[in-house]
Amino acid sequence: MSTTGLPEGGQAGDRFVATEHAVALILGETALVAEAYPRILEAIANSLAWQFGAVWETVPGAGNLLHCVEVWCSDERLTEFARESRGTVLPVGTGLPGRVWLSGRPAWIDDVRGDTNFPRAHAAVTAGLHAAFCFPIQSARGITGAIEFLANDSRHPDDELLATMETLGSQIGQFVERSRAELAAHEREARLAGILDSALDCIITIDDRGRVLEFNPAAERTFGYRADDILGLEMAELIVPPALREEHRRGFLHHLESGEARLLDRRIEIVGMRADGTEFPVELTITRIPLPGRPLFTGFLRDITERKQAEQELRASRQRLVEAQDTERRRLERNLHDGAQQRLVSLALALRLARERAVGAPKEARDLLEQAAEELTLALGDLRELARGIHPAILTERGLGPALDAVVARSSFPVELVALPAERLPEPIEAAAYYVICEALANAAKHANASAATVGVVRSDGRVVVEIADDGIGGADATKGSGLRGLADRVEALDGALELESEPTGGTRLRVEIPLG
Amino acid sequence: MDDDRRFREIARALLEAEGFVVVGEADGGEAALAAARELEPDVVLLDVHLPDIDGFVVAEKLAAGGNRAAVVLTSTRDESDFGPALYRNGVRGFVPKNELSAERIATLCR
Repeated sequence: MSTTGLPEGGQAGDRFVATEHAVALILGETALVAEAYPRILEAIANSLAWQFGAVWETVPGAGNLLHCVEVWCSDERLTEFARESRGTVLPVGTGLPGRVWLSGRPAWIDDVRGDTNFPRAHAAVTAGLHAAFCFPIQSARGITGAIEFLANDSRHPDDELLATMETLGSQIGQFVERSRAELAAHEREARLAGILDSALDCIITIDDRGRVLEFNPAAERTFGYRADDILGLEMAELIVPPALREEHRRGFLHHLESGEARLLDRRIEIVGMRADGTEFPVELTITRIPLPGRPLFTGFLRDITERKQAEQELRASRQRLVEAQDTERRRLERNLHDGAQQRLVSLALALRLARERAVGAPKEARDLLEQAAEELTLALGDLRELARGIHPAILTERGLGPALDAVVARSSFPVELVALPAERLPEPIEAAAYYVICEALANAAKHANASAATVGVVRSDGRVVVEIADDGIGGADATKGSGLRGLADRVEALDGALELESEPTGGTRLRVEIPLG
Repeated sequence: MDDDRRFREIARALLEAEGFVVVGEADGGEAALAAARELEPDVVLLDVHLPDIDGFVVAEKLAAGGNRAAVVLTSTRDESDFGPALYRNGVRGFVPKNELSAERIATLCR
């Protein structure tokens, strides 16, 4: 029942050449290993009249175990054996693929019934399979797999067949390695492209002539160019403002010639230009890509218009804060000087005069003393006012409610407190509310000729809302006058917001919201 | 010469009680210059802080105009706030308002 490993009829040599051609064709046409394997199995099996073929590779993560990654059957009766093979894991050295992997040479079994190292022998016999041969798939880097074939009769080894298979094994091995390397490279490229595409920063790459090689989607959005339209064009023409172009070109050239890298790998703030010609502030980092041959440069850019505006606003508000403090101090000094100090000075002279007159003109002395006592009371009143202006002790000690009661009592026109919070609020918020209300009422009296006002302080929803409404002439503008600006600063420092409604027709409503905690 | 009427009143009362003759008052720098020209006093008591032009300028103009009066400056503030500028233009001296007395003025004008 044994035959040689050849079908009947036809020249042996022809068959092998035909097989090699068939496999070469498959390798040339296919890109993916997963596509190539089944076609290779089919081609070799059909060409040489074997009934079953399988490809074995190492288990991922376990380099000393082999598993079956592809099978081919000539008919349905072999499906069971195919399934058995699929489910088998062989340590290197065990089984037919195992021994081929270990030796690195092809192997032949006349009849698996008689082989001591063929774990699937029982399943094979049940399926009617007897002869088996196997050859390694290898490349310069070593063995990457093994291909086995089984036949439904027992056969003797054929050296020419084995030699052919060894050649094929090498060709297939090279194909597998190349294909997998290309796949890995594609995946890596796709990952990098994914990064460039999704990056929020603009990423622009240029060559050593300053021409655009890459322009990611963020750059397209920021500068207003489509990458396709500008690849190959000089970057300086596209995104460097005209006034800075020559300097840029000079600097670039200087770097290329001298190797000096003054601007590389640091954050630089410069001005960029959009497609429509408008200019805007940009933060830039340039890095040189170290490739053999001519260098490339990649720039990472960020539109910092908003950040610059925020910095400017911060500077401005700090300045306002310092100015406000200075103005306040000057005001205090003037108040003290013009008020209490003046009174006390006159008081001192009056007392001296009274002393001199006490004996000779007692009535005059008594009058002087009475005047002095009045002056003293007034001076004390002045000082008390001043102290309250600097800091109202009642606010810290007893809270917003009592402090506002006192403000209302001193007001030159009726003020109704329509709402007050039941419990104390955090100190900075009580202070802010207090000063806002005092300033608003002072403005109402001084500028708006108000005859009545309402004040409400409400705590709800994690915020404190302060509302002051007066019936005076309207027309207040929060942008003019440092008083309201100072209040806005104070409120904003607490992450709050100030809203002013003031129609020229009459009435002003000031609303402040400050978040709690 | 002081823009605070209260102070002028009490200063006049005090200085007259102590022996001076007060020939005039003024409540501003220009008024002060006019009064000094017209009344030709021996002593001019001048507040540094006047509403229109300050006491230093008045002293300078008086000296420039050849006025013979002895100028004494005064203020609610004290001397250390002003420094050596105080004694220019022939100003005889400075007395803080609350230490004002005939004796003090006489000492400065000797």
